[in-house]
Amino acid sequence: MGVLDGRVACITGGTRGIGLAIAKAFLDEGAKVVINGRDAAKAQRSIDGLKAGDRVHFIAGDVKKKEDCIKVVDGTVAHFGRIDIMVPNAGGGSDYAPVVDMTDESMQDAMTWNFWHTFWTMQASLKHMIPQQYGRILAMSSVEGKVGKPAISSYVASKHAINGLCKSASKEVGTLGITVNALCPGAIETDVMMAQGPGAAEAMGLTYEGLLNLFAQESAVKRLNECEDVALVAVLLASEAGAGITGSMISIDGGTSPY
Amino acid sequence: MGKLDGKVACITGGTRSIGRAIADAFLAEGATVVVNGRDAAKGQVCLNEMKAGDRAAFFAGDSSKQSVVEGLIDFTIEKYGKLDICCLNSGGVQMTAPVAQMTDEEWALEVDWNLNHVFWGMRRALQHMIPRQAGRIIVTSSVEGKLGKPGIPGYVTTKHAVNGLVKSAAHEVGTLGITVNAILPGIIETDIVRATGPDSAIAMGLDGYDALIDMFASESAIKRPNKVEEVAAVAVMLATDAARNLTGVLFPVDGGTMPY
Repeated sequence: MGVLDGRVACITGGTRGIGLAIAKAFLDEGAKVVINGRDAAKAQRSIDGLKAGDRVHFIAGDVKKKEDCIKVVDGTVAHFGRIDIMVPNAGGGSDYAPVVDMTDESMQDAMTWNFWHTFWTMQASLKHMIPQQYGRILAMSSVEGKVGKPAISSYVASKHAINGLCKSASKEVGTLGITVNALCPGAIETDVMMAQGPGAAEAMGLTYEGLLNLFAQESAVKRLNECEDVALVAVLLASEAGAGITGSMISIDGGTSPY
Repeated sequence: MGKLDGKVACITGGTRSIGRAIADAFLAEGATVVVNGRDAAKGQVCLNEMKAGDRAAFFAGDSSKQSVVEGLIDFTIEKYGKLDICCLNSGGVQMTAPVAQMTDEEWALEVDWNLNHVFWGMRRALQHMIPRQAGRIIVTSSVEGKLGKPGIPGYVTTKHAVNGLVKSAAHEVGTLGITVNAILPGIIETDIVRATGPDSAIAMGLDGYDALIDMFASESAIKRPNKVEEVAAVAVMLATDAARNLTGVLFPVDGGTMPY
């Protein structure tokens, strides 16, 4: 018996990293889970690893496209009959540079990937959650949703925007059995971090190792976070016990964020 | 199999309301728990209700006294051999008066109960936990640790202060396997709030206890007070081994009240 028995969750970017860890934790607690990603082959390997039978389902889609975001949410309802938990988790950035040199394309890419995808999936899932008077939205923000680092303003601004979106939405649906929270992890060495970290580091004048070290040193635990740290909090917020927690930006950062 | 099997916890103000809910949740997850409270009779009732046998014990005393807080921790270690989880939970609005009318004596009472009790308990617990390179300290702060209301400056100030204490201590012991966190509940209709709420309402210029509860509820997104079980669920999570990378967190359980 799990704390999410009978619940249906949808996780964007759920085939690896943080999203996959959340999927695994939700499945362990009895939920049915849709994971989304771009690559069906990669997804199949993840699904095989989860060993959850028909309780896990993959929906392909690029979250940078509105129609794909809606397809993933509505597809969850079509497949499992409802959606209780929405986790807009995918995200990242590209072509980092100081504001003075940042291109429109780089800012646009981070805003689309992080902010617009969160907005689109939140809106689409609320349309199902409001009539059923139940829901949990767990948006993936970041420690960079509360603080800022040089040369990654596109990422920082888009994550701050997610926090604002969650706070507003939480007040709109607070009496309808729906909670909306932002998770703010510290640096985690996910696939996305390994792919994009070197570019971000270079823009900051650091090596990749130096970047990871910087994040670790800012924390109290002096190490990076892990995907399972985020999954632990996600399960709590998604469960019945999370009914009284909304509009929050929960730090999962080893003591980095000042508030 | 529980998430806290084999763990030993102590909780100030553990016989009723939030502390009791945390104690019950810890017991349900397999921990051994020492609860503290002022009233020995209430302590016995609490133990009878818990039906946890040797896994629960009571330590009598007023947690605003240094000897009691330190005594609770020493008693726990002596009786059960160690202390894994220290919940510094007791506290409340002791004195209601605007700053202009607050006496030094009233101020000191407030500081002893809500702030010094947490410092004394945290210090004693850390002296035990640091050599063991393991531990969880969980402080019950409040939404008033981030916001302010008129008429209860002692409460607001001391809850802000414990948040600072938690953040500092978290950085001191972050690499030693010890986490230090605060939970910040919104208004909950606990025994303490029922007892002190009417006075607080007057101090805030409100029309009685119900108006006080309504005001807090209306400031939230969920438009209701929180529940003790909602706090207990967070406490359990923070107490687990899995939460090793969660520290220095001011964890809101306030239905969306606080702005940051």
